[in-house]
Amino acid sequence: MAPGMRVVGRLWPAWLSPAALALFAGAFVVIWALPLIVPLTTYQHNLLSLVFMFVAAALAWNWLGGYVGQVSFGHAAMFGVGGFVAARLILTFGLPFFAAWLGGGLVAGAFALAWGHPTLRLRGPYFSIATIGVGEATRLVLTYWEGFTGGSSGVSLPIEAGLKYTLYWYGLYLMAIVVAASYAIRRSRLGLGLLAIKADVEAAADVGVAPTFYQDLILFMSGVVMGVAGGFYASYFSFIEPADMLGFDRSISFVLMAVIGGIGTVAGPVLGAVVFVVIQQLLLASYSQLYLGLYGALLIVVILFEPLGLSGLFIRLRRLVRRL
Amino acid sequence: MNALLQVENLSKQFGGLRAVDSVDLELHEGEILGVIGPNGAGKTTLFSVIAGSMPATSGRVLLNGRRITGLPANRVVRAGVCRTHQIVRPFSNLTVFENVYVGALYGPAPARRAGMSPRQDTADILEFAGLRERSEDLPGSLTLAGRKRLELARALATRPRVLLLDEVAAGLNPVESQRLTDLVRRVRGERGVSIIMIEHVMQAVMSLSDRVAVLDYGRKIAEGTPDSVSRDERVIAAYLGQAAAEKRADEPEAVTGA
Repeated sequence: MAPGMRVVGRLWPAWLSPAALALFAGAFVVIWALPLIVPLTTYQHNLLSLVFMFVAAALAWNWLGGYVGQVSFGHAAMFGVGGFVAARLILTFGLPFFAAWLGGGLVAGAFALAWGHPTLRLRGPYFSIATIGVGEATRLVLTYWEGFTGGSSGVSLPIEAGLKYTLYWYGLYLMAIVVAASYAIRRSRLGLGLLAIKADVEAAADVGVAPTFYQDLILFMSGVVMGVAGGFYASYFSFIEPADMLGFDRSISFVLMAVIGGIGTVAGPVLGAVVFVVIQQLLLASYSQLYLGLYGALLIVVILFEPLGLSGLFIRLRRLVRRL
Repeated sequence: MNALLQVENLSKQFGGLRAVDSVDLELHEGEILGVIGPNGAGKTTLFSVIAGSMPATSGRVLLNGRRITGLPANRVVRAGVCRTHQIVRPFSNLTVFENVYVGALYGPAPARRAGMSPRQDTADILEFAGLRERSEDLPGSLTLAGRKRLELARALATRPRVLLLDEVAAGLNPVESQRLTDLVRRVRGERGVSIIMIEHVMQAVMSLSDRVAVLDYGRKIAEGTPDSVSRDERVIAAYLGQAAAEKRADEPEAVTGA
């Protein structure tokens, strides 16, 4: 019998493979215990927390950009909205930070739905162009809305002793949830429907997939994670300002992470985010603007030679090794 | 007996062009209705409107007495009417199995989905359509005949009561065309699906159809058994021109087999 036709027991959903579950659980435990076993410097420890957050954000971008093929150049809008809402929830209502992140995420998701529902009828480059507009408009509104964002001077959060250290684990939980969700979406009924929409919207509708509903749904989910990531970012730096949160290069960074790593895959955006943040950190200190140029070059190389990015490279390497 | 699918006075206007003009059709349970007509007669547009791919300008379509006009395509599928495309549109990023699986997962209405396994259903349909060995392949690696089978299999997976087949035999060689015709016959016989089929391959449509409707310039100009339709003056005029129709009236043997 062909592999796709194996009948799976009822206990687990058909898409869940024990190997993937074991790998996931193993990686989670190792990363969780890492700072307790290996003496990381504060710099390394914090950098990892930031990487976790960006992995989550890149994967969330990929839900829309990779699974449905709707490439968004405006995801910084949700990142920024989530960040500022979370900051306000902490400052004004004194919410604990994780509740504030969640609040920021939900508002960001609702915001995504508000612009996405009409915009997702557009496809391909037309959708992408619309998202540039959405991203820039959101940035301008939030820059001038001083009562909410503090304008270009931004918002500062009270610094809690020891918070930054614990963010490592919160970042890990966020990443773990989003990795698991990415895998689940990719393998489940929802993911198959999204891939069908990506291939041919009308043909998908002709076999019963509701294109509007599922595109709205995945954009909402993507927006929620973006918002939570923005909240995390606010807690991490204790200070946020619109230009940094919502700049066009912020939006581009999410695209780059997914594309460099391998668009549409689960491992891709994870790898992409790691590579992106590490290169950024290495270059930022000495050549602050050079890193964007480097990403541009990297992007061209990826698109020309390996459309599946780093994951595609790994697949090729594995084949090569097997042949030897 | 009431018709399973009723098309009443259906029209579709594109600017100044009436692509479908006040068409009435009835499809009975277990029936195969052929729809023929010259290129540009509005056959595919008729399908698009029935399937909800595009809105009707006026008129309505009833399935079992329930109105389905105005529903989006995905809801029409849920109601039990599924179409295929003349130019096949497989999901090229999914395997053959996954293509059909999408139909099995999303197509059937929730009530009809109870107690069945979409995975098993998909496997059964692939076997039925003769695609079992190709389950794990991408549609791009199939021949045209294979992709036509896939298009049909994917539509079947939605558990339709009415299947709208748009030129399943077009572009195939006579052997392949015959095999697909046999498959369509089995869809009706073994799976109990009622079918409306657009077809240009006359041998296919005439041997399969219980009744044939003829469209020309968006209007239904004739309807009846394959035999009576192929003898109809207006039909011959539409296909071959007025002169041929008149000539045929003089010497009946000159234009046969359409």
